[in-house]
Amino acid sequence: MAPPSQTVSELRSLLAVRFPERARKPCGGVPAAVRPIDDALGGGLPAGRLTELVSAVPSGGGQTVVAALLAATLAARQRMALIDGADGFAPEAVPAGMLRHLVWVRCRAPEQAFAAADILVRDGNYAAVVLDLRGCAERALRRTPASAWYRLQRAAEGGSVAVLVQTTSPLVPAVPWRLVLDTPLSLADVDAPRDAVADRLAVRTERSHPQAIELAG
Amino acid sequence: MSYAVLSVPDFALHALRRSDPELCGQAVALVAGEGRKARVAAASPEARGIVPGLAAALAMSRCPGIVFRRRDPAAEVEAHRLLLGAAFTLSPRVESTCGGCCTVDLRGADPARTEALMRLVAVELAGTGLPARIGAGATPLLASYAARCAEPVLVVRDPRDFLAPLPLAFADPAPAQAEILRGWGIATLGGLTALPKAEVGRRLGSEGVLLWERAAGETLRVLRLVEPARSFAAEWAYEPPVESIEPLFFKLRRFAERVALELRGAGFVAEKLSLTLLLEDETDHRREFRLPEPGADVEGWMRVLNAHLGTVRTEARVAGVRLVAAPARPPEKQDGLFDAGLRDPASFWENIARIAAIVGDDRVGTPALADTHRPDAFVLERPSEAVTPSVEAPVHPPCGPTLRRFRPPWPVRVVCDAGSPCRLEGGRLEGDVRAALGPWRSAGDWWKPQAWAVETWQVELAGGGVYQIACMDAGWCVEGILD
Repeated sequence: MAPPSQTVSELRSLLAVRFPERARKPCGGVPAAVRPIDDALGGGLPAGRLTELVSAVPSGGGQTVVAALLAATLAARQRMALIDGADGFAPEAVPAGMLRHLVWVRCRAPEQAFAAADILVRDGNYAAVVLDLRGCAERALRRTPASAWYRLQRAAEGGSVAVLVQTTSPLVPAVPWRLVLDTPLSLADVDAPRDAVADRLAVRTERSHPQAIELAG
Repeated sequence: MSYAVLSVPDFALHALRRSDPELCGQAVALVAGEGRKARVAAASPEARGIVPGLAAALAMSRCPGIVFRRRDPAAEVEAHRLLLGAAFTLSPRVESTCGGCCTVDLRGADPARTEALMRLVAVELAGTGLPARIGAGATPLLASYAARCAEPVLVVRDPRDFLAPLPLAFADPAPAQAEILRGWGIATLGGLTALPKAEVGRRLGSEGVLLWERAAGETLRVLRLVEPARSFAAEWAYEPPVESIEPLFFKLRRFAERVALELRGAGFVAEKLSLTLLLEDETDHRREFRLPEPGADVEGWMRVLNAHLGTVRTEARVAGVRLVAAPARPPEKQDGLFDAGLRDPASFWENIARIAAIVGDDRVGTPALADTHRPDAFVLERPSEAVTPSVEAPVHPPCGPTLRRFRPPWPVRVVCDAGSPCRLEGGRLEGDVRAALGPWRSAGDWWKPQAWAVETWQVELAGGGVYQIACMDAGWCVEGILD
């Protein structure tokens, strides 16, 4: 009988041959320019995957992550989409020059946000797509069938876009990475440089699936 | 080859079939005449055993389920415009010879390229439900003979070999001439042209000479050229009015195919589409689509139109539809050395249009700050094609957590102590204020009726969370959260 390690290795090889699309190596990542998040994810938001960022407390720093991602994608001359489920993005909160690569979708309902995400994730022109569901009615989000999330994950897997889903409570089933912001910022942070605020965010890793990368490798 | 002829056999029948989705795959016959005198003028391939000239009653007994229709002049006009549009993609010198036939002057064109183009045009026309045959030759007459024999494209390089086996009927002899020639044992064009032209003239007169010239394909004539389309519009009236979306899609696709061909023939692309649904209650539903990537791609147009029509609800049935394309010159662009363009521009703009159909035109785009200090003032602009690198650091580097707005702002009652907020009550947000920063006062547009003034505070609640609250004319509200 073969040793277990050899069996697992053979099984991985077999899976990689039978399901090449599943074994596709994530093509790089998109640095979020938020050190705790990049550290937790091993370098940045993984391309071709969904990452869920749960803002478990008010002022957890989720919007600061969006602002940092805007700056990072612009520095890399990449395009970013923000699907704003509750229409909460404030353009005046980021420097004007940092908006020109952003496509902002102002949704009125979660259904619109899902429909837009389904389209944009398949579009090959974006490096990062942020699906911000904070502020959406919790009941409406809970009604979202799991199949919608799986569909989004499958769509992301086919491309090179990094998808960041922002929620206020864990929502995405079988998401490879789920990070939680569970320490609120305070008024003392208001005068600190935003980069410093971002680097101080308290990020807890609730779920990570390194084996997804391992399988690909 | 100097001339080409685009011809559609059974043009009236094909024009009718491409205008009515119910006739797809059906046995259809065009009939002429009334009552017992009604005769089949043309029949679709599905109508087996039905030949032109057959009495309608007999046709019905031979082919049960056959659909009889009369000619539809509007459908024929639409189909002929499509054919003309296709002809203009070959050359700007086009004659509208007759319904379902046009002649193109190809002199000066590259023969190899033109032949390849003709094959493409034939495929494209067949795809739109108009199976055209295209013939090319040294004279318009020779090209028309070639079109009659083409499957679907035929270029005549050696006229003598081509004409020799063709039946004499191709040259359209008068009945008396045909009788005489039959007596001479001549049944083909080659047989007639084998005779000396002068001898034929001596025996059959000037009419005989003309027939000989037609048989030799030598007849030259001046083409009556038509101008390419300058307005790119199509309109259709439904009788009876329609309630579902499928007939609209079908007709819009036909329109789009024709208008796109006309645009291409005139050297244009569409930058804007205008769709009007004429409703039964004499109102209308209008919508304009600006195509961010100007083009003449039918599929792209249809995606934009379908995305919109999928969301349209009208009070009355649709009695007509109109599609207008605004022409523009094709865009020419060159990528920059340091900016990053779109990987797939067509997909990008199509997806933007699809999302605009979902959330609304005014709710997708790139935000830009408006030239005012009024809170939450911005405009959404068309996304740029290229992402240019950031060259300048912002004058005021951003500080602190980022604001996330509540739209509309949450009304709240604020209890103040010594002029500073100390508690929020009565709204979606309640709690004691642990710390507060402010006030920041701003005002503007005082010379206008829309004058505004606002006093803003940032407060941290005891239960956690930093919020931005504002006092305006309407009272206090929570503008958003610093997140």
